[in-house]
Amino acid sequence: MRGPVQATIRRTLWVTLLLAACAVAASAQEDVRCLSCHGKPGFKKTLPSGKVLELFVDPTSIRLSVHKDKHCVDCHADVSEVPHPSTPQKVNCRRCHYNGNTAGAPQLEKYVEFEQSVHGKALAAGNTKAPTCQDCHGDHFILPGSEVRSQVYRTHIPQVCGRCHLEIFGQYEASVHGKAMLKGNPDAPVCTSCHGEHNIRQAKDQASTVSAGQVANTCAHCHSKVVIMEKYGVKAEQVATYNESFHGIANEFGVLTAANCASCHTAHDILPASDPRSSVNPANIPKTCGKCHPGANANFANGRIHINAKDKSAGIVYWVALGFKILTLSTLAGLFIHIGLDLFRKAKDRKKHGGRGGAAHSENKP
Amino acid sequence: MSAEQLKSAWTDQDTRALAETLADAVARAIESEAPENMTDDQARRLRSALSSALAREAVLDTRRAVRRFFEEESNKERRAVKEQVKADKEADSVERLSLHIRLQHMVLFSSCILLIVTGLPIKFHDAAISAFLIDIMGGPGVTRILHRIGAIALTFIGVYHIYYCMVFKEGRKTFDLLIPRLQDARDAFHQIGYYLGIKKDRPLFGRFSYIEKFDYWAVYWGMVVMITSGYILWFKDWTINAFGKYVFDIGREAHSDEALLATLAIVIWHFYNVHFNPHKFPGSLTWLNGKITMEEFKEEHPLEYEEWEAAQEKGGES
Repeated sequence: MRGPVQATIRRTLWVTLLLAACAVAASAQEDVRCLSCHGKPGFKKTLPSGKVLELFVDPTSIRLSVHKDKHCVDCHADVSEVPHPSTPQKVNCRRCHYNGNTAGAPQLEKYVEFEQSVHGKALAAGNTKAPTCQDCHGDHFILPGSEVRSQVYRTHIPQVCGRCHLEIFGQYEASVHGKAMLKGNPDAPVCTSCHGEHNIRQAKDQASTVSAGQVANTCAHCHSKVVIMEKYGVKAEQVATYNESFHGIANEFGVLTAANCASCHTAHDILPASDPRSSVNPANIPKTCGKCHPGANANFANGRIHINAKDKSAGIVYWVALGFKILTLSTLAGLFIHIGLDLFRKAKDRKKHGGRGGAAHSENKP
Repeated sequence: MSAEQLKSAWTDQDTRALAETLADAVARAIESEAPENMTDDQARRLRSALSSALAREAVLDTRRAVRRFFEEESNKERRAVKEQVKADKEADSVERLSLHIRLQHMVLFSSCILLIVTGLPIKFHDAAISAFLIDIMGGPGVTRILHRIGAIALTFIGVYHIYYCMVFKEGRKTFDLLIPRLQDARDAFHQIGYYLGIKKDRPLFGRFSYIEKFDYWAVYWGMVVMITSGYILWFKDWTINAFGKYVFDIGREAHSDEALLATLAIVIWHFYNVHFNPHKFPGSLTWLNGKITMEEFKEEHPLEYEEWEAAQEKGGES
């Protein structure tokens, strides 16, 4: 039997559902109006320059993105009537993504960092080629960087950056890092691993992660980690040995003309020393060292570069260091014993004679 | 008589007698100066009052004056004694190290100090004090120049010393006395035996004890290593091109390691023997004036002292 209570509940449920459906229909109604043109595959416009502007928007791309609850006019806020008489403005993400927005858009320092970056500064200076958010993150199909389909997922980053930095993309692709990345190696660095993401700065900017003073620390993120390096047969002490070298010490004390990692290994062309194209291949050493040491010849390759004198791999340098260690310790031990015995005897004499210990000396005056 | 003896012989009676004589003399001196309208009796009574008042005051003043006199007298004596001791010591010391030797030592230690303060911060670059030292000296560009100035001074004195040892009579003689001999090993064992109480007396040293010979040859070894490796590093491009990168690496390792060994040897051994040894503390001025007292001479270099004495006598006769 249906009671009156159940009837009331059912009625309430129906009303609620109806209201919800109406709300969805209302906003969907807005999107439907936009999609009446933009939802047609092949919708495009030929500009006076001859360039064809694709204007088709796949509505499912928005529904699958982080902005699935947003509607067209939430971002394209300057469109108030359909059809819109003028070309809408480029979408400004800062409408929502700013510190202090209570609407729930992620609030991170990244948005501020971008303004200080080389891209943000160029944009502020009026460079029309400077990238905005959409250039890297995409427009309608925006996903978190952690999702494989995202345009900023780590393996997609080189292509994203390469759209503008084509030449560097080519160098990177052929490098040891690029090749490993293309093989799907999760350890391999992509552009942002070294350059940062929103805070990308020019290498000559001292605050840059790839500036002369900081690049060694940046490489150390991976190259000082034994767990990563042992997989590839690369020594994890390369940054440490650099820091101990004259180049590293000069760099530490602020002499930024001293060689850093990239001076010898290059920034994007990095290849194993065994590769004949590598800047650190023995055959190319004279040329590489010659950038700073004019007239460098093949003898610059006659010996190791990253030396750890405490390790047998250092060859003769290891033995020299060991020899000096033994010499120093034995000499100092001998000197300390001699001084100790001298003081011991003086103290004994002082006790015996009650004087300054001088009495003992008078015993053997000639 | 000394001030101290005079003071103990002096009594308060003496002070009083002196004060009375003084008061009396004053009273007598003004006798003729009595006012004319006074009777003789009045004048006599005035003089008597004046005399007793003067005597009272004079005792206090005299006591103070006597005390001050004795104080000054004993101070003067103490100063004279001090100066005499100094003069005696001066007179009783002998110039053991010639100006020629002293100047070489001065150039050597000045350049070493400069090289150590500009060099060790590079070796210990991680230490906070290294950055501080390099900073107060004007940065790595300046310390590099200072280090090379020190290097030139050290090289100069090293080369000059060899010239000195070959050309000058004093140099040849000194160098000959510095050559290690079997006696030095015997002396070392003897000295250690003495320290341990096995030997009753200390070994008798000539001009240079085995300790001084060790110091000298340690510096010799250090100079050869530091100067050779230093120039390998200074002219790095040339040395690498000529011999290979590994030669540079050996040079760097040797330069760094020997720098520490030399610095420690100087700070521990040389400073102990000439500064911190309880008999020497806080150090002598021998490096500046070359002088050594007769007492030290006889004690530390008895054989050299004998020779010196014999030479003095011979010189006196001729």
